[in-house]
Amino acid sequence: MVRHLIIGNSAAGITAAEILRRLDGRAGITVVSDEAEPAYSRCLLPDFLAGRKTGADLRIRPADFYAGNRIDRVSGRVLRVDPRSRQVLLENGGCLDYDRLLIATGARSAFPPVPGLSGPNVTGLRTLADARKIVQLAGNVRRVLVVGAGFVGLETAYALYNRGLEVTVVEKMPQILPGQFDATAAGILQRDMHAEGMRIILGAGIKEVLTPSGFLNFFNKSAQGVLLDNGDRLKADLIVVAAGIRPNVELVQDTGISTGRGITVDQFMRTSVPGVYAAGDVAETEDVVTGRVGLTPIWPNAVSQGKTAAWNMAGQPRPCSGSLGMQNAVEFREIPSIAMGITQGGDPGLEVVTAGQPGQNVYRKLVLRDNVIVGMILVGDISGAGVIGALIRKHADVRKFKDDILRGRFNYGYMLAEMRNAG
Amino acid sequence: MKSIMIDLDACNGCLTCTLACAAAHSRSGSIVGAMQEKTPARIFIEAVNGRAVPVTCRHCEEPACAEACMTGAMRKDSLTGLVSNEGHEQKCVGCWMCIMACPYGAVTAHPRERVALKCDGCPGLPQPACVAACPNRALRYEEPAFFAAGRSRDAACSAAQAS
Repeated sequence: MVRHLIIGNSAAGITAAEILRRLDGRAGITVVSDEAEPAYSRCLLPDFLAGRKTGADLRIRPADFYAGNRIDRVSGRVLRVDPRSRQVLLENGGCLDYDRLLIATGARSAFPPVPGLSGPNVTGLRTLADARKIVQLAGNVRRVLVVGAGFVGLETAYALYNRGLEVTVVEKMPQILPGQFDATAAGILQRDMHAEGMRIILGAGIKEVLTPSGFLNFFNKSAQGVLLDNGDRLKADLIVVAAGIRPNVELVQDTGISTGRGITVDQFMRTSVPGVYAAGDVAETEDVVTGRVGLTPIWPNAVSQGKTAAWNMAGQPRPCSGSLGMQNAVEFREIPSIAMGITQGGDPGLEVVTAGQPGQNVYRKLVLRDNVIVGMILVGDISGAGVIGALIRKHADVRKFKDDILRGRFNYGYMLAEMRNAG
Repeated sequence: MKSIMIDLDACNGCLTCTLACAAAHSRSGSIVGAMQEKTPARIFIEAVNGRAVPVTCRHCEEPACAEACMTGAMRKDSLTGLVSNEGHEQKCVGCWMCIMACPYGAVTAHPRERVALKCDGCPGLPQPACVAACPNRALRYEEPAFFAAGRSRDAACSAAQAS
């Protein structure tokens, strides 16, 4: 009997466990995690913050999932992997043996090196524990400062705003969602958030977090808050840091398992050490559009990588279909938006075409290289986004359909008709 | 496992399938009721260069929509093979990740509710409502292999007639 050990109980880990069981009815499958809850969706934490969902509502699998699939759960924090003895060592002194190991430890909130950015009123939003802490604090605070206007930051801001708090978002870059959207799309979404009443400060970083006494010394007022690098000061009773993530790779230090920012894996999700696999936010893979090796920390990639790892751990070799690092769907208020791949032009080899009426909250953008789409932004009308996504993944030549795609007239029917004409 | 097979040559774009789909998913169960309730259809007749092309969910073996689903609402039933975001312990929140993921464009946003909308395969009916309603036999509910065999038989017949 093969003993599979999975470290991590979120998207990648739980998918791998589920598929391992499907592929091998007899294998031993153990999931070890430092979170006690059944697998839940981190993407839904803002809904928990807003009070729309309870902790139990966040679960991504039915209640009988672990028992039904005969998956053993171990609660504990893994300190170190020892590939030579094929064991992992737990913080509580225990150790677990494995034949094949999947590292799906994910990532944690990265805190920028700002003086004073710690303490009971400063938190990230990564775990249900973080969310519970924020909800607990939210009852006694009025002003919330969110650091970072990426997806997590804005979702958090919106959720806390819906709880009735005064929310200010501070973003270092000159636009919201800088990693994903261009200035036009970001402008549409920001206008929508302003209409709701949220304050967003762009192009400013946090220089220092001031305690009540520090605030008094600086500004002769009793409050707590932050000093921005442009000299402005903001009162804040609660600070939520959403300024990126750091993969949890410490457990493989000095084990011979190669790491960059995350754990390096090949297209079979194999690390540099036989029998050890990695998937999800902790893994570094090659991006299907840019060809660059890096983190691809979004939910669908984690699931897909967990699936690939499981097939290969079960001895049925199968490459990953390729992760598209940058892809996200979002609807903060009432404007649905999707971005994928390279969404900013700039590179001389790239062709950029746009359509729509940003004033009416409708915008479409395609970025192409030699008639192959490498990125897109859809704002307002997101129908058929996945069809364009498939064209991106397949590196399809779209010169015949470019205008139809840009105008939102393209659909899978075009490809069916093409195939029929060809056949 | 049977699935909805499409014979492109037989479709004349009459839209009967879309009406039947809406009716089957309406509270009233009738076409008129569906129009009053504004029940959206889950199968689409796309116009492609003057040709009508039906597009609907294929209930994929490894559905990209289910992989992208961050709530666990979108799942493939291991017994029926149907992929749906309805009727499960986990609920759809309308995050649109499935719309971003589906390479066929078969998942759409519900026009009024914050929930993703797709073909549910009409569980409980002997065959999906769109198939039952299609007057041109452009939609059929068959085993894929059986459908393909029929197509090659048709092709052989027309080749024989032409010669």
